[in-house]
Amino acid sequence: MSVTALRNSSYSEPRILLAGVLAGLVHLVFIALLIFGLNWKDHPPEGMMVEIWTELPKPIQEPVKTQPPPKQQTKPAPEPLKPKPEPEPQKPESVKPEPAKPAPRQAAVTPPVKKPDIAMQQKPEPIKEIKPDLEQQKKKEQEKLKELEKQKELEKKKELEKQKELEKQKELEKQKELAAQRQREQAAKAQREAEAQRAAQQAAARNLVTNEISKYKALILAKIRSRIVMPPDLPGNPIAEFSVTLLPGGDILDVRLSKSSGHAVFDNAVERAIFLSKPLPLPPDPALFHEFRNLNITVHYRE
Amino acid sequence: MSTTVTQDMSFLYLIASASVLVQLVMLVLVLISFFSWWFIFRKHFVIRNEIRKTDDFEDIFWRGVDLNALHQRITSARYDSGSLERIFAAGFGEFNKHATGSDLDAVMESTRRAMRATYQREMDYLESHLSFLATVGSVSPYIGLLGTVWGIMNSFRSLASVTQATIAHVAPGIAEALIATAMGLFAAIPAVVAYNRYASSTDQLATRFESFMEELSNVLQRRAAG
Repeated sequence: MSVTALRNSSYSEPRILLAGVLAGLVHLVFIALLIFGLNWKDHPPEGMMVEIWTELPKPIQEPVKTQPPPKQQTKPAPEPLKPKPEPEPQKPESVKPEPAKPAPRQAAVTPPVKKPDIAMQQKPEPIKEIKPDLEQQKKKEQEKLKELEKQKELEKKKELEKQKELEKQKELEKQKELAAQRQREQAAKAQREAEAQRAAQQAAARNLVTNEISKYKALILAKIRSRIVMPPDLPGNPIAEFSVTLLPGGDILDVRLSKSSGHAVFDNAVERAIFLSKPLPLPPDPALFHEFRNLNITVHYRE
Repeated sequence: MSTTVTQDMSFLYLIASASVLVQLVMLVLVLISFFSWWFIFRKHFVIRNEIRKTDDFEDIFWRGVDLNALHQRITSARYDSGSLERIFAAGFGEFNKHATGSDLDAVMESTRRAMRATYQREMDYLESHLSFLATVGSVSPYIGLLGTVWGIMNSFRSLASVTQATIAHVAPGIAEALIATAMGLFAAIPAVVAYNRYASSTDQLATRFESFMEELSNVLQRRAAG
């Protein structure tokens, strides 16, 4: 009795649960090391095939994405440009009359007022001082007056010239501004035109691609149709759909009947024709191959 | 194809994208590894405990305590007894049952048998699960290798449908397959190390038990004769 009791008690192992927890911990640490400790990053793709795949989708996708933003950019750009030219010409027009007209008026008014004053002062002076030489004095005065008039005329001319120069400068500035505006407008127009051209080119390229794809799809279908040995006298217009997996080069990897026409004879005939038309015509540009990798071919019994 | 080229190679993705058989192999290896580590820790505690108790008991025994009192203390089971204590208890109990007047050779023979029986049971207990560790150590690399071979087979088969074969087509498949081998080795290496260590420890304990049995039978014989 005592021996069996001893045995039973002794065989209860120490720390079984602790051992299990430790085992779990060891694995957690190992997994954590694997996941976080190592950088399992793929290297950039190598080889011809890879580069072609990565290049093709970008030019098709990018233009679609980038086209809207440029339009948005160009639209706001001309809008701010247009309002600018409108206020600018108004400013010079409003400026012209205000400073230009008052300036000459003041200049024109002041000299005539001064002239009589000078004349009046000069005239009484000679009368009081020298009486006998009146004629001489008169002549002198006349000469002086003439000189004064000449001087005034010269001044007037100078002022006029200055005004003319100012006006010319203003006109030049206006012209410059106008020219700058024109240049800006022209640049905007050129940008818009260039963008439009680009968009058109891209659209054309896309059209070309889609044309090419649809053309070769039609060619493939035609080739397959030409090889079908049509079973005679089927009722209605049964349609068989096949999904074909192609290899680069036109070889057929796999042909699966995705939708039966309901007539095994017709299905078999089409499947045989698909295999017979190997290699299928593919566009020479290998970049387009991904469009043909998984083909869905639908064949109608009657066209 | 075009998708596999730019895939990310994270550890979890590789496992998730592996084929079913490889995933099964990985699951089996994870379970094996877990159990092997569990047994490694269990055996570690058991053997350490056993060595400590054997040391203690030998210490007490050779100090010359009263054998009857020692036997009493062990059979009362007031503390967790070790293997050597149980061997002593079995032998001494058998020896005491014969009492006086019987043939000494027969008494010693039955005492020896009793001790040997307990010894074998104890050794069986000490060596339990060690065979599991040995099996894990030798088999799990092969299981991992199976997963790897299968994964590489698959990745090469997918290469057959490509005209221009590049490393990029095969690399993810091989990497994913090699994880199986890594897991197999992860399970195997500690199992082998632990098996060797624990086998030598139990061997040492076994020789200690055997020599103690011989010594105890001598002591008892002297006691009966004296």
